[in-house]
Amino acid sequence: MRYRTLALWSLVAAAISALPATAMARIKLITLPVRERAEIQLDNPGATLVEEERIVPLVKGVNQVDFSWANTQIDPNTIVFRVIAGADGEAPKATAKPAAAKETKPLDVKVLSVSYPPNEAALVWQVSSSDSGSARVRISYLLGNLTKSFNYRAVATNDEKALILSEYMRIQNLANESFGSTGLWAGFGPRFLKPIGINETKEMLVKKFTEVPVKKTYTCDPQAHGYLDRPQNKLLVPMHYVLKNNKANRLGVAPLQYGKVRIFQDDGHGGTAFIGEDWGKFTPLDDEMRLYVGVAQDVVVKRTIDKNQQHRIAGNLFDREVVIKFEIENFKDKAVVLDISENVRAIRNELYGNNGRDIQWELGKDTTFVEGSDKEKSTFEQLVFHIKLPARGADTKAEKIVHKLHLLIKNEW
Amino acid sequence: MLLVAASVVRAENVDLSTVPTRNTVQLTIYNSEDLTLVRETRKVSFKPGANPLQFSWANTLIDPTSVELRFLTHKDKLTLLDATFPHAKPQMVYWNVQSEMDGEAMVEITYFTSGISWSADYLCIANPAETDMGLEGFVRVHNNSGEEYEDAQVRLVVGRINLVQKIAELARITPQQVEELDDTERGKFKKDALVLAIEAPLLTAQSSARKSRSEEPKQVAKEGLGEYFIYTIEGTETIRNGWSKRMRSLEAAKVPLKIQYRYRLAEYGDQLVRMYLLTNDKDSKLGTTPLPDGIVRVFRENGRDGLSFLVAQSVKYIPIGDKIELNLGPDPEVIFELIKLRTWRDNLWMQLHGANVFRKVGEAGVVVQVNSSVVGWDDHTLYTQRVRNYTKKPIDLEVRRAFGGHVVFRSELPAKNHDYQTVEYTATVKPAEKVNLLYEIIQHQGWLAKQNNVTIEKAQVKP
Repeated sequence: MRYRTLALWSLVAAAISALPATAMARIKLITLPVRERAEIQLDNPGATLVEEERIVPLVKGVNQVDFSWANTQIDPNTIVFRVIAGADGEAPKATAKPAAAKETKPLDVKVLSVSYPPNEAALVWQVSSSDSGSARVRISYLLGNLTKSFNYRAVATNDEKALILSEYMRIQNLANESFGSTGLWAGFGPRFLKPIGINETKEMLVKKFTEVPVKKTYTCDPQAHGYLDRPQNKLLVPMHYVLKNNKANRLGVAPLQYGKVRIFQDDGHGGTAFIGEDWGKFTPLDDEMRLYVGVAQDVVVKRTIDKNQQHRIAGNLFDREVVIKFEIENFKDKAVVLDISENVRAIRNELYGNNGRDIQWELGKDTTFVEGSDKEKSTFEQLVFHIKLPARGADTKAEKIVHKLHLLIKNEW
Repeated sequence: MLLVAASVVRAENVDLSTVPTRNTVQLTIYNSEDLTLVRETRKVSFKPGANPLQFSWANTLIDPTSVELRFLTHKDKLTLLDATFPHAKPQMVYWNVQSEMDGEAMVEITYFTSGISWSADYLCIANPAETDMGLEGFVRVHNNSGEEYEDAQVRLVVGRINLVQKIAELARITPQQVEELDDTERGKFKKDALVLAIEAPLLTAQSSARKSRSEEPKQVAKEGLGEYFIYTIEGTETIRNGWSKRMRSLEAAKVPLKIQYRYRLAEYGDQLVRMYLLTNDKDSKLGTTPLPDGIVRVFRENGRDGLSFLVAQSVKYIPIGDKIELNLGPDPEVIFELIKLRTWRDNLWMQLHGANVFRKVGEAGVVVQVNSSVVGWDDHTLYTQRVRNYTKKPIDLEVRRAFGGHVVFRSELPAKNHDYQTVEYTATVKPAEKVNLLYEIIQHQGWLAKQNNVTIEKAQVKP
């Protein structure tokens, strides 16, 4: 049994060059070059690359360098062996021979072949060296069970206008190999130099964004969010925090990675209160991260179909007319903006069945959303309208606001 | 194992034999099939008269019907009288050789075995600017044949051969059973394979003993032969049973590469992928050999004194002069969205029920009766292909989209037909630029669908 999970052995025997592999001596002397430096590259979304450097003593002639691992998921096909310049940037040096030469010559080190023994997690490099000396080698390989994930902690101000967003990278080492002081890099952000032991999980702050403007939205969308009370036609109104990943909103450094966001709010008394959590989706630059915080029960939206009529154009060809009425009450003591989202195709399917065809539509004259739909957020079949809702009155009564969406659905059969 | 029996009449229970050792051995390994042709030479002493030879291969995967004996020296004085496959010992053959000489002769034994294979793989390391890469090709020989082949000349055949029956299967049945098989085509194949193998001279004992330069990586000679390409590894190799050995077969530095972003649903899935494009030719410092099927592992120097792993991808055989296309997967710094902006219908045609009468809806002066149905129309869909480039370099984009049915692709984009139902268009997106590539699809439906193809119409479309 090997005494450690990963080992590099160098067989010190120049005479090996004369021996076929089958004639390897049973008695052998090996050196155990230790890991001088290690880097864990986590920039690939599906693989973890480990690069380690060791100083390998070589003798003139052909050397055998044995690399073995046990109980770790190293992909042997990905192992790359490279001889690199030393830490001082110079080529590997030959051992000084005072009598023979005043200056040391750089070693010429070449990999001749790699052999893979049967039923063993190991490989053997045959390496030739122009002289005796030490070579700094870098061994790179993909390692399984060493994974990364991201998570966030957001602390909103008491007035919920801004927040502090801290992005953390969490590395879980189930690879059954410990790494001393090791460079860790996620492909963006800072490079960390940390040790990570077997079965350890390490969490590091990648970036802290302060004073990030946050937009609080209330949205009703019968297709996406459904109803709070279906018999009474009351829609569910979730509340979201929306962050825009750009410089103007004090983010925009890199895409925000997928991860859990725990949201806290300054309670106004020097502490914070946990107000909800959501999975933040991968958010490219200039895109929005929408975080579902909870249900807003003080904004009540009742949705009814007020009109449903069809007009024959010819034969089985019809135009259809639908009016959807929204009765809205804001019981909050603050004015808010409500986003009403409707999918026109889903309305057609709900009333007339799904004929599988895309929908041709236009807004009718009874539509009351005077500002029209949000062009940026609306698509050919999804409409988004913004409505300003006043705070409830001093008498605690909420004003009922009624809006209508009048749709002319054309050329249906 | 080759034994020379001491007497003409084989004793039942008491035997004396000598064991001529292998003089040279050559392995010709095919990567497309589990097949290796072994040619070995041995020095055998013959006495005048009958000389029994026994060749056995216990616990190996040799095809018994493929074992052949030839005399390389003293051909006029040695005659192979017969060969016997004893019923009780399936992995054995007896040859009776009639000799008119007393002395040593060189014999050659050839046979097919399975369990030895080879594979290719490639290591690419792009420079930090991703303008060129170092490319190394490797061949890896795997020996699970049950036999040790020491100091063997190794030849690797690149190409697809036809084989009507697996050698491993033949190795597990008796010669008598093999004879019952219809082996016309097998014989033809074996003959072709032998021709391939015999084209190259077998190492002589002297040349075998001459080691290659032991402190230099071995050279791999490549030469074309008919539909195949043969790699011959310099000198000899010992590949122990159960082991595999990997050697460099080609090396090229600063191979120029081009980056292209591609959308091709059928090839790369529903995503925009980043590609490294190279060519296997002399201008790219390659082109000395076709590249056999294998895994390509692509890294990039990350500019921080380390590597980034980009992808591991299988490539099919790449002939000399052909393209090498490496799919690195999606790039999080390039956002690619297809947005449907608007859909509408027009050119609606009705057919009167029970009559072969068609009317266009909305045409002046035409009244369309109630008892009619829609039979033809045009679906219009306006799309924008939105691309945002957050990289620091301009990107070249190539999009291929397939449309079923009778379709018109209307756009000002530089579009062309890739095939009858696929449109290809290209664009360049500058760093930090967001572009909207607009196009309209008009799909003739029902009675109006007369074709199944896409026509490109250069015209302005408005969102």
